[in-house]
Amino acid sequence: MGTASTRKRSFFSQKICRFCADKADHIDFDDIKNLKPLISERGKIVPSRISGNCAKHQRQLTRAVKRARNIALLPFAVEV
Amino acid sequence: MRSYQSVLILKPDLDEAQVGESLEKITELVKNHGGDILKVDKWGKKRLAYKVKKNRFGYYLNIYHTCENESVPALEAKYKLYDAIIKFMVLRLDDKELERAMGNGEETEEGAVTDDAEVKKDESEKTEAKEPETVPAIDERGI
Repeated sequence: MGTASTRKRSFFSQKICRFCADKADHIDFDDIKNLKPLISERGKIVPSRISGNCAKHQRQLTRAVKRARNIALLPFAVEV
Repeated sequence: MRSYQSVLILKPDLDEAQVGESLEKITELVKNHGGDILKVDKWGKKRLAYKVKKNRFGYYLNIYHTCENESVPALEAKYKLYDAIIKFMVLRLDDKELERAMGNGEETEEGAVTDDAEVKKDESEKTEAKEPETVPAIDERGI
């Protein structure tokens, strides 16, 4: 384990899919509170290798985020 | 006949009466295209994530409706021409999604409030935990 991986892991402490933990069968694009933590500071989607989401929920998440961006609930890009 | 979800962003400077008016007009539009309104949610005035037609805020309407399959593009064209709408999105719903939308409108609202508080707690803990590690890295670069 390198230092880089431990640093990444400290933000998302456990490598468990948070949607599986909630037993969510569907991710809505309109509940921004659940999507916000999975968006980086620049407005990018956090990859599943870092967030620990399972593949199924990551696919649903990307769709939800992209829909939310289209309707101005989430930004396409955050200028820094 | 399929069911659809239309999310519409109205101009922010409309008052409640004007929102009602435009909602009536939108209902008429949908009915003209062989559809029916199933459910209307008013999400209210929200801050937009980016400027839309020079507006920082928008009034969100979420409408579940049915529509003739062929006339959806025509309906979208009508939305585009209606000047109270600054942005819109029409989604096709399958049976499962429709059932979910009709069923748990009220339950999710209650759930969302509690979730919100928990998420905020988590975030504050995480940011606190993260800071000590990231700060030294920035210092090194600065030197």
